Amino acid sequence: MPLLKIDDQEIETKAGETILSAALRSGIAIPYYCYHPALSVVGQCRMCLVEVKGAPKPLTACSTVVTSLPPDKKVDGKYDMVVSTKSEITRRAQRSVLEFLLLNHPLDCPICDQAGECQLQEYSYTYGDPASRFDFEKVHAPKRVEIGPHVVYDGERCIKCTRCIRFCSEVTKTGELTLAERGVHTLVEAFPGRKLDNPYSVCTVDICPVGALTSREFRFKERVWFLQSANSVCPECSRGCSVRYDTYKGDVLRIVPRENPEVNGFWMCDHGRLLSERLKDVPRRDRPGIRTEKGWAFYSFEEFWPLFLKRLQAAGNAPFAALLSGRMTLEEMAAYKLLSAKALGGPSGTALNVTGGADDELLIRRERRANLQGARRMGIAVSEENCDVTALLKGKRRAMIVREDVVGDAPEARRPAIIKALREMELLVVAGEAFTATAEMAHVYIPLSAWHEMEGTTVNFLGHLQKTARVLLPPRSRRPFYDVVSAWLKASGEEAPEGGFPAWFAEVKKAVPELSNKSLRDLLPRGLKLSEVAP
Amino acid sequence: MAETLKILTRAVGVQNSTAIDTYMHGGGYEAMMTALHKMSPDQVLGEVKASNLKGRGGAGFPAGLKWSFLPKKREGDKQEPRKFLVCNADESEPGTFKDRLLIENDPHQILEGIVIAGWATQAVGCFFYIRGEMPQGAKIFQRAVDQAYSRGFLGKNILGSGLDFDVWVCRGAGAYICGEETALMESLEGKRGQPRIKPPFPAGYGVYGVPSNINNVETYANVPHIIKNGAEWFKAIGAPSLPGPRLYGISGHVNRPGVYELPSSTTLRELIYGHAGGILGGRALKAVIPGGSSTPVLRAGQIDVTMDVDGLKSVGTMPGSGGVIVMNETVCMVRALHNLMEFYAHESCGQCTPCREGTHWLELLVGRIEAGEGRPGDTERIAEIAGNIMGRTICPLGDAAAMPAESFVRQFKDEFETHIKEKRCPLKAAPMTSRI
Repeated sequence: MPLLKIDDQEIETKAGETILSAALRSGIAIPYYCYHPALSVVGQCRMCLVEVKGAPKPLTACSTVVTSLPPDKKVDGKYDMVVSTKSEITRRAQRSVLEFLLLNHPLDCPICDQAGECQLQEYSYTYGDPASRFDFEKVHAPKRVEIGPHVVYDGERCIKCTRCIRFCSEVTKTGELTLAERGVHTLVEAFPGRKLDNPYSVCTVDICPVGALTSREFRFKERVWFLQSANSVCPECSRGCSVRYDTYKGDVLRIVPRENPEVNGFWMCDHGRLLSERLKDVPRRDRPGIRTEKGWAFYSFEEFWPLFLKRLQAAGNAPFAALLSGRMTLEEMAAYKLLSAKALGGPSGTALNVTGGADDELLIRRERRANLQGARRMGIAVSEENCDVTALLKGKRRAMIVREDVVGDAPEARRPAIIKALREMELLVVAGEAFTATAEMAHVYIPLSAWHEMEGTTVNFLGHLQKTARVLLPPRSRRPFYDVVSAWLKASGEEAPEGGFPAWFAEVKKAVPELSNKSLRDLLPRGLKLSEVAP
Repeated sequence: MAETLKILTRAVGVQNSTAIDTYMHGGGYEAMMTALHKMSPDQVLGEVKASNLKGRGGAGFPAGLKWSFLPKKREGDKQEPRKFLVCNADESEPGTFKDRLLIENDPHQILEGIVIAGWATQAVGCFFYIRGEMPQGAKIFQRAVDQAYSRGFLGKNILGSGLDFDVWVCRGAGAYICGEETALMESLEGKRGQPRIKPPFPAGYGVYGVPSNINNVETYANVPHIIKNGAEWFKAIGAPSLPGPRLYGISGHVNRPGVYELPSSTTLRELIYGHAGGILGGRALKAVIPGGSSTPVLRAGQIDVTMDVDGLKSVGTMPGSGGVIVMNETVCMVRALHNLMEFYAHESCGQCTPCREGTHWLELLVGRIEAGEGRPGDTERIAEIAGNIMGRTICPLGDAAAMPAESFVRQFKDEFETHIKEKRCPLKAAPMTSRI
């Protein structure tokens, strides 16, 4: 394999490898804008120009492949290529490209959303000149262009790296975008009559190295350096994309994808990303409640458990239905199984397989729940797709529904039958993160923490296990289902794992043999591929 | 003074020269028949290689060598790998108008060269990409193509040789950048005309991803003569570093502007003062751009050089496209450069940074000097910006803009400095701001 030398470092390159990829995997910094590992190489920005020994001019590291030289032609006697990232030729190329890029850039960093995570800022700091020599009026270009429903374009900040264009033509294959005009007036535009409107459109904002494309939902919300971030998993379909939640003062301001080659690559869908907006409208009840003829009464948990257990006993041993959810983590599922065995008389429970739309070629899965694969692995039955809930309730007198809104999510036509079936229950317990239409029909409501408010593990449709994070701290009375179960069993005089997530993860390990020799540390940051998909 | 040649331009002035019968009456298509009937593709390729025919588009790359880069049928292959030829008729370099003369006066000569090249390379056809502003040329060439089909010189199994070869005439939309070979291919495919990054080169990945060979109109036009008269005959014409007949289009302040077919051993002085009849109005010569606007400019004292590669190299410039632009003493070099910089800034495709931003900056700087608002250090800055564009871009347009900028301020530094110091154009009483 060709031997490459960059500065003082020798690198054994792989077949067909470019200077840039060899440098990146060896921890050598070469600045670049238009290059993206998931997109075609265009060599347009010229930021990655480096001096190659023997070449008449600097070459773009992103597009120059290191090839073998015959033994008598080796550079310095042994190398197939010798690159310098610090020589005067390289530095001059870097400085001048940055100078060119900033000529007509508005330098409106103080009011730019990208500030703090902007590659123009980063490279100017590292490679640029402190002063501008451009003493002319800058070229003006369209600003605040609503290029798509979720994306706003600023033609003045744009450096024409074409990452967004290539994303739309190569990744989503929707091809909405193009360069328009010429020379210094070049712009990114949607084709006439089109909008940047595809299920992954906001990914263009992620890959935009500057502030040219901003997210309509996030722009002007907060300076990024004030955000608190936590790595987690998207709950919105069985892909379970690796994501990062960015929060500020208790609100989720944005959700962005994390690179995970085995799960989502670099991308996530707009639906999953815009969960941050939907979270604003979730109707929450922070305390457990019991409904009587006089209506709902809400209690603290200390008051609640005796009242609840009494109510449970009153319902006797009538047949029990448990409707579970792929929105439960593995730990919550383990907790349900223990609860079922010790306090409910052993109903096995069924996780509802809620689907919608179709699988696409990129990420989106029609299975709209993140952890159904986990349910299968935990030995919990998964229903038919969009099954008739009334069939599961048939012949049952008591029911518990966890993390599902069977009424609100039901199609209009089925809803009356479901409502009727729920009304016939002697005891209906609903545990969930939101006070939904189903919860309103319950006799007992137990609030739970939302997906992003708890730690847990989840398995995607490929059998990839990842850990979710407690991105935000919910009120103490909203807690994960496993904590509820611990308290429930304790109140019933049973023994239960204590200590929250780690204790329940230990229970999960018992149920999933493959995890037995793994620690939590093994799950970070990208999770763990379980070897076999459960039958 | 060397006589003008009558090889490529022999049909110019001949009545009805574009008709296939006129062309054949003068011996046309004989070279094609020789090639197809008496020579193997490799023999044709060998002859063109031996002739050292250099590309006439501006870069001067040896044509035979370029042809040989196309993939060949290897042992065990069932059929010839699919490949295309492209004829670059997007002539748009300022000061260059030689291809147009050939297209409009002798289209069959070009066509014959293309078919011979098709035989040598075993290509399936040729895209004739003609500049949008040449509707007449496109019409004439299309008629020539139709005539060639009707005689069986194009199409299936040409003259029983087994060669299936088509020619498609495609019109550009008038962008200078589409004369760059890969931008031309993008444009052919219906995409935005912007150059591709190389490698892969067209010989590996050309039109629609098919291996392609692209040559200039004049290059193809030379091919029938090489086949007919042999490589040795061809090499005997002109200087060794640029053999064969060459078209020089001379424009500007000369008494007889036009296209002259000359051996490259002719000097610039002979062309300007001999063939072109000297400087208009009997004034003094000031500057010459020897090979299209992209080539470095020469001062009046530098014209005693032959117009081949070596001769022009000795004064720091190059033959380029053969478009000679002559400027007399009345020309303000700042204004002339501003005109060129406007052109390149306007024609930059905008994809890569140094050219997109740099050409615009150069236009502004030169324009400011011309307007009497130049600042000390501006000429040095022009040279530095040109240096920062040179060799840093995907395609040669960046270099094409940088070379005149650098050479104008180097060759005519005093004139630029006078503009800056006196805050006016010394050639005019008042500062000029309007375009030429």
